[in-house]
Amino acid sequence: MSVVMMLTTLFLLASSACKHEMARAEHNNVTLEMVRDSLIRQEDTIVYSLIERARFPLNPPTYDPSYASIPGFSGSLLELFVKQTEAVQAKAGRYDNPEEHPFFPDNLPPSLVPHYKYPEVLHRAAMSININKLIWDMYFNKLLPSFVSPGDDGNYALTAARDLECLQAISRRIHYGKLVAEVKFRDERKDYEPAIRAQDRFTLTNLLTFTNVEEAVKNRVAKKAMTFGQEVKLGDDGDKGKYKVDPAIVSGLYADWVIPLTKEVEIDYLLRRLD
Amino acid sequence: PIERARFPLNAPTYDPSYFSMPGSYGSLVELVVKQTEAVQAKAGRYENPEEHPFFPDDLPPLPQVLNSAAVSVNVNKKIWDVYFNKLLPLFVSSGDDGNYASTAARDLECLQVLSRRIHYGKLVVEVKFRDEWKHYEPAIRARDKKTLMDLLTAPAVEKAVKKRVAKKARIFGQEVKVGDDSDENKGKYKLDPAVVSRFYGDWVIPLTKDVEVQYLLHRLD
Repeated sequence: MSVVMMLTTLFLLASSACKHEMARAEHNNVTLEMVRDSLIRQEDTIVYSLIERARFPLNPPTYDPSYASIPGFSGSLLELFVKQTEAVQAKAGRYDNPEEHPFFPDNLPPSLVPHYKYPEVLHRAAMSININKLIWDMYFNKLLPSFVSPGDDGNYALTAARDLECLQAISRRIHYGKLVAEVKFRDERKDYEPAIRAQDRFTLTNLLTFTNVEEAVKNRVAKKAMTFGQEVKLGDDGDKGKYKVDPAIVSGLYADWVIPLTKEVEIDYLLRRLD
Repeated sequence: PIERARFPLNAPTYDPSYFSMPGSYGSLVELVVKQTEAVQAKAGRYENPEEHPFFPDDLPPLPQVLNSAAVSVNVNKKIWDVYFNKLLPLFVSSGDDGNYASTAARDLECLQVLSRRIHYGKLVVEVKFRDEWKHYEPAIRARDKKTLMDLLTAPAVEKAVKKRVAKKARIFGQEVKVGDDSDENKGKYKLDPAVVSRFYGDWVIPLTKDVEVQYLLHRLD
């Protein structure tokens, strides 16, 4: 490697490291409002990803291990796709970010990029919390059949890609519970500490439940599904009532899964917070 | 683009010297695109004639299911240049949040959507050709690009497309709040509708027409 190239690389690494230090200092002051804003923005991502998946019918061969018949691999096309895509993204450093959780964490290749110094906000207990298996089961067994039309249009690769986006968006939102819990803990330590020391899930669940906030979230995601899922035509503001994804399904996803599973993550995190 | 706009520019994503092994991979975005396309190719994505890889040389050879006219028309190199040099700087904020892998993944999605839309011109023009081949044939035989371009240009339709995408950017990019339909949020969009509309006018529509013309020129081979 020439001297010039080496110096350039070092310069770039050094300047990005300075920026990261600044980012870390700012981010240690993460507030509940910042966390809530992020959750709100993540709703949009989830709604968009569901809309994009709904462009395709169910496409069952995507999920059928006997369809794929890939030598040396015994899963479905979807599993192959997710494992290999996660491997690419791991090499690009995706899972260095504590907000990202792979669905197939075993055997991921190491990152090829310099380790980015993400702000250290969470207790180290966070690293062992990964409920993606539950999310995967929920998505394929409960959610998917409820919002896509039956049928097969042959686009299995595209279908798998859209599924992965939905999974990643939902996973990120649910695991964000760790950050939510950390912020709440810092704000109101006195309230949480006794329950944590007593490992009292019931009290923690009550402390973490704000029914009016949850109602607002469910209403808002339904509204987003209506807004983002509408047909847009010029001139004509008719066609109300036709949506790419049923708003009730999105609202139900949040009520039955996203909100409860996020709370699970929050409780799991808090129970270990004083270790 | 709305989802790409969640991230700032994240310049290291595009910097070939950011890697631990400079020179081997190009930039992070190239690594992600090449390797992701390889995965998607294994899953059969590029057997669909509507899908075009950005790095076809890195892929195993694909089964030939189309006539050669369709196969040979691939303007992805141009789309790549236009996306990174003309569009991206217009709609992302400056800055760096470290999420280079996700940034690259979002870039790939934008590229794929644009590529599919632009190459859809082949299908559009095949239909037009079948409906009115008497009009197209002389110009094709004469290799007369100008006439073909004129035949393919419908200003009223193009104007409507630009208006509709701006409308979609407004609707899909808005902040949605519960209860409040006030005007506080009007005018705040994740993606500037004017940028989208102009991008369609300056690049998407002309590149689609390029694809259409190229396709037609091969159509009678």
